[in-house]
Amino acid sequence: MITKQDVELAGKLARMTVSEQEAGIYEGQLRALFGWVNDLKAINTEDVKLTNVTLAAHTRQDKAVTDEQAAAKLRAMFAQELNDQAKVKKVL
Amino acid sequence: MTIFEIVKAVTSGEKTAEEITRYYLAQIKEKNPSINAFVEVFEKDALAQAKAIDAKKARGEKLGVLAGVPVGIKDNILYEGHKATCCSKMLANYTAAYTSTVVEKLLAADAVIIGRTNMDEFAMGSSNQTSVLGVVHNPVDLERVPGGSSGGSAAAVAAGMVPAALGTDTGGSVRQPAGFCGIVGVKPGYGRISRYGVIAFASSADQVGVLAANVADASLVMEVIAGKDAHDSTSIDSPVPHYTQQFTKDLKGVKVGLPKGFLDGLNPTIKKQTELAAQKLQELGAELVEVDVPLAKYSAPCYYIITSAEASSNLGRYDGIRYGYSDQTAKDLKSYYEASRAPFGLEVKKRIIIGTYALTSERYEECFLKAMKVRELIREDFKKAFSKVDVILTPTSPTTAFKIGEKDENPLSLYLADLYTCQGNIGGLAGISVPFGKDEKGLPIGVQFYGPILEEEKILNAAYHLEKASK
Repeated sequence: MITKQDVELAGKLARMTVSEQEAGIYEGQLRALFGWVNDLKAINTEDVKLTNVTLAAHTRQDKAVTDEQAAAKLRAMFAQELNDQAKVKKVL
Repeated sequence: MTIFEIVKAVTSGEKTAEEITRYYLAQIKEKNPSINAFVEVFEKDALAQAKAIDAKKARGEKLGVLAGVPVGIKDNILYEGHKATCCSKMLANYTAAYTSTVVEKLLAADAVIIGRTNMDEFAMGSSNQTSVLGVVHNPVDLERVPGGSSGGSAAAVAAGMVPAALGTDTGGSVRQPAGFCGIVGVKPGYGRISRYGVIAFASSADQVGVLAANVADASLVMEVIAGKDAHDSTSIDSPVPHYTQQFTKDLKGVKVGLPKGFLDGLNPTIKKQTELAAQKLQELGAELVEVDVPLAKYSAPCYYIITSAEASSNLGRYDGIRYGYSDQTAKDLKSYYEASRAPFGLEVKKRIIIGTYALTSERYEECFLKAMKVRELIREDFKKAFSKVDVILTPTSPTTAFKIGEKDENPLSLYLADLYTCQGNIGGLAGISVPFGKDEKGLPIGVQFYGPILEEEKILNAAYHLEKASK
């Protein structure tokens, strides 16, 4: 059973402020949704192995693609560079 | 005009791309105030592109296959130098730093990018009511929703403001609004179209799709934007057929699957129309075969757990440092994060909370892992079904377009709007919604075809014949 405290905890983990009013609204909705999710318990998934859900039949090379031009373009967007790193504005 | 007619007129010199663009700009100016499908029109850039196409023709150069065709793009698809806000306060000031592959391909085919279209915030919704830029009105009945989340793209095409538009489809966001607005919406199988430059919601389900007035037009646009992209490792390296050349003379030899129990308890008018569609396909030569996809009914709970979990991760980047709104008044890091993430709307926050909760150590196995495993079984069910049939026929949505605000009291009932469409995203299938009749209020009804990944031509062909037969 989902409680208001669960909603507040999830909000905290997601680094969001959830107001008292919002927690109240979400509590009921999430309870209904997770009630629906409980239906999944009836399905036997004991021997199910996870695969790449949609690409299982289409294996691909797992290699990095280097695009010097794109990298240069992205670097050019920063106002300043320092020691080969982009310098960004201070937030705190 | 259809896309084929526009291309013919521009390539033959009967009309200029500029004339075509000006015509659609005038349509937008006239109709958009009451529909709110476009959140920004790129008038100056669109006219410059059109003039460049005309200049290309004047130089005797060969024009692209979408010569002079204005296309709207959903507000979560990047186009360098243009805003892309996901219709959220979080990205209100975001300007794309690069162009998505789909837009690059459209431009290379000489299409004209005419503007960005309204959508549910971060593509989360089925009614286009969560956009911070205002609700979109269904052109068929302005008091009703256009569906969502690509509601702006669907309404723009349905109102004749643009001949085609791109949307994204994570649980039905192209097909459901297409059904509500009486147009065609196609979502290819997962991996067929690059997601590079598309703002992520749920990466294992997101796909770009096409909305157009008819199947042939949608097929042509699909043909242009599909294909492997080195920038998206999940895009599949497989040749893209000329879809419009794959339309057969009739449907003889085509096996159409009718899933057992899919119409049980359905709205009687939609049930009747789906049955009529099956009958029509049979008249066109198709063989109807009953198929069993018993676990497909669990797609919706799986969908809401998996996509919300992925969203909670994908949207973690909007923390004011990496992306998004930055609150400069905070005193410490915790309050900085919280204040910078405050602009998310109620629905987006809810999905992040659902996803975060499903991923907590206490709930991970019973929620997220369980949903992922059931997803495997659903995919297997469809795989078995497609060993017996070429395509599967279902309704697109359990209802026709509802009134704006009608479901506000019970937001979870909105989740049921995706009942038939989210199966396609859970299974990674190709899907298309095609209009087939109207209900007693005159509202469009869509029926949907599913096909396996990389066999989009099968669903396009079936939809093409059904569309032709229903005219």
